[in-house]
Amino acid sequence: MYEFTPIGWLKHCIFHPVEGFEDLRWKKQGSMKISAVIVFMLFVAMVADRQLTGFQFNGNYVKIFNVVPLIVQSVVYYITWCIGNWSICTLLEGEGTFRKICIYSAYSLVPYIVCTLISVLLSNFLVQEEAIWLIALYYLGYGWSIVLMIQAMRACHQYSFGKTLISMLLTLAAMLLILFLAILLLSLFQQVYVFFYQIYTEIAYRIRG
Amino acid sequence: MLRIKNSFKKILCAGLAAVAAMSMTLNTYAAEPYKSYIYDAWGDPIPSQNAYRIDKAVTGFDMGLDRLSDPADPLFIGENASARLANAKDMYFDPELKQFWVADTDNNRILRLDEELKLVGAYTGASDGKNFAAPSGIYVKRSVIDNKLYIYIADYENSRVVKASVESNTELELVMEYTRPETDLYTVETFNPSKVVADKAENVYAVCTSVNQGAVQFTKTGKFQGYFGANRVEVTAAVIAQKLWRKFASNEQISGMQRNVPVEYANFDIDDGGFIYTVTEAANATTDAVKKLNPAGYNIWNNSTGDTYVFGDMASEYDATANQTYSTRLTDICISDNGLINVLDFATGRVFQYDRNAELLCIFGTKNSKNDQRGSFSSPNAVEAYNNNIYVLDGAKNDITIYSETTFGSLMHEAIELYDQGRYSEAKPIWENVLARDGGYPMAYMGLGKAALNEGEYKKALDYFETAYAQKSYDRAFKYARNEFIEEYFNVIVTVLAVLIVWLIVLSKLHKRNIFIIKGKLGKLFQKQKEGR
Repeated sequence: MYEFTPIGWLKHCIFHPVEGFEDLRWKKQGSMKISAVIVFMLFVAMVADRQLTGFQFNGNYVKIFNVVPLIVQSVVYYITWCIGNWSICTLLEGEGTFRKICIYSAYSLVPYIVCTLISVLLSNFLVQEEAIWLIALYYLGYGWSIVLMIQAMRACHQYSFGKTLISMLLTLAAMLLILFLAILLLSLFQQVYVFFYQIYTEIAYRIRG
Repeated sequence: MLRIKNSFKKILCAGLAAVAAMSMTLNTYAAEPYKSYIYDAWGDPIPSQNAYRIDKAVTGFDMGLDRLSDPADPLFIGENASARLANAKDMYFDPELKQFWVADTDNNRILRLDEELKLVGAYTGASDGKNFAAPSGIYVKRSVIDNKLYIYIADYENSRVVKASVESNTELELVMEYTRPETDLYTVETFNPSKVVADKAENVYAVCTSVNQGAVQFTKTGKFQGYFGANRVEVTAAVIAQKLWRKFASNEQISGMQRNVPVEYANFDIDDGGFIYTVTEAANATTDAVKKLNPAGYNIWNNSTGDTYVFGDMASEYDATANQTYSTRLTDICISDNGLINVLDFATGRVFQYDRNAELLCIFGTKNSKNDQRGSFSSPNAVEAYNNNIYVLDGAKNDITIYSETTFGSLMHEAIELYDQGRYSEAKPIWENVLARDGGYPMAYMGLGKAALNEGEYKKALDYFETAYAQKSYDRAFKYARNEFIEEYFNVIVTVLAVLIVWLIVLSKLHKRNIFIIKGKLGKLFQKQKEGR
């Protein structure tokens, strides 16, 4: 029935929150490349939101710009989400593969990205009295993406609505766990590195005499 | 030979050193024992110019307090009257007679000094014959009713506030004694007034130790009128937790709990408009640290209405030499005759100067760390302003330090005066001069921005406000700039929009007839989608 280009499929999913992802799944569509681009655009939107928002709306600490937190908040969170969701839903008899989870999650992020970019653009033309437009856009983007995300996960794993919500909450818990372990691992490895580096310097000093 | 050479070298070296030392003494000057700074819009400290420099420190001897023990002198008090101040707790400057009044607390006397801080009068008691005991607050005002000069003294140990008319350099005529109010509303056992002011109607306000409902207010006739301007309880996590616990706890448990009461305020001052300014001497108080109270007791500088008034230092500070952490404890406030507000910080020994709208202007002074230097304080108790000088009374060093304006300071004050009156354009050249001396001074950019805004140079105003990081002012300028832009380019905007709309209509018409202007991938993308449906 549906014959779209990959971009056409993306549009179809975004504008048909109820059936879009089911169609996507049925037709075995969805592109990993486009997902990667979307996640990159999420990062770009976050940077734009921080740096290019109109001065009168920008409450960020502009003296220092550090890109690492923004990468973490976009790319790393996305990857953790996918991993967490895959781990949880494998246990909860979900039908989605890792690839599908990645693609569906990324597709449902598009409204948020688009709304953020539009509000960044608008914030350069509006004054504070008209901030209501930006707030409306913000909630629109958020709400739409959340609805899409729920639908995407539901279609991906063929869950009921309630089970989808539970699995998503569990995914959030899993994300916390993963990030905690990652930080723990990082600090441990750093200590191991420091240990070996100290041994190296010690030996180096001995050899030099 | 070698010896002679060596000694010649020595002489040469010594000579050079002497020349170097001479030139150094010529070039150096006694710098302030602190680095001047100011806070930017982010609350980060940034270096700034000194707006004040230390002029001198005046001790009791310099004031001529030895006259008090000289029997031949008309001001003679007693053979062993101390020629030093002792833990002086308050100082008041009377702008009318241009005289300073000092409550010399531990010496149980009141000193009256002229504008050069020379002794002109001393009082040990009023006409009732009772000696003052640890007078710790003083206020002097000429009555608008009977045109007499009245002095109000918080007589701490005698548990009274004394109102007396000043008869001569040694005599006070007792007019009224305000003692502990005999009413159920006054619940505290003691009545130890530490600070006192009076308003134009001669109502007396006294800050009393361990009274946290506000200042105790008396009418002219000595009737207790109630409390004035209590602080609120600072909302901390502990306070919220306790509030929650109280919901579940039984009455016995509640009675065992600690009560959350507001911190009493430490000091106050009254300005010409009848507004009373209070400071709270609690470490890092963010709620009600400085208040501006109208006669009804309502706080005008109220952060809970959406403003952000900040006073004192932003964060606690660690001093490595003294191995101590200082956090702001505001102890005195003084409104100078030109409307500038000076707030004295007891913990760090700093004076924070604000303009009428509570914008930070400058910070000066420091705490004694190891070495006792001029301009550093051990126990700064009171601050007063007169004739562009700032006077700080130190209760441990027993002296008064005089700060005088620098060129930067006088320029800045001149500009602020015009700025607060809304005469932005007149202030412009002065602000530029200020910027030439301190390129990072935030208020200068605000002033220049407002001047540019008033003169209709919106682009410039935007630049200045962005530098000062003043979002609200920027927003106002932006509104005008946008209107200007739209007016200027209205034709262009409308034309572009019209062309765009027509283009889109034509395109959709063509697409319906399966004619594609855009070739290649994009065109095909539309094509496929159309076929798909």
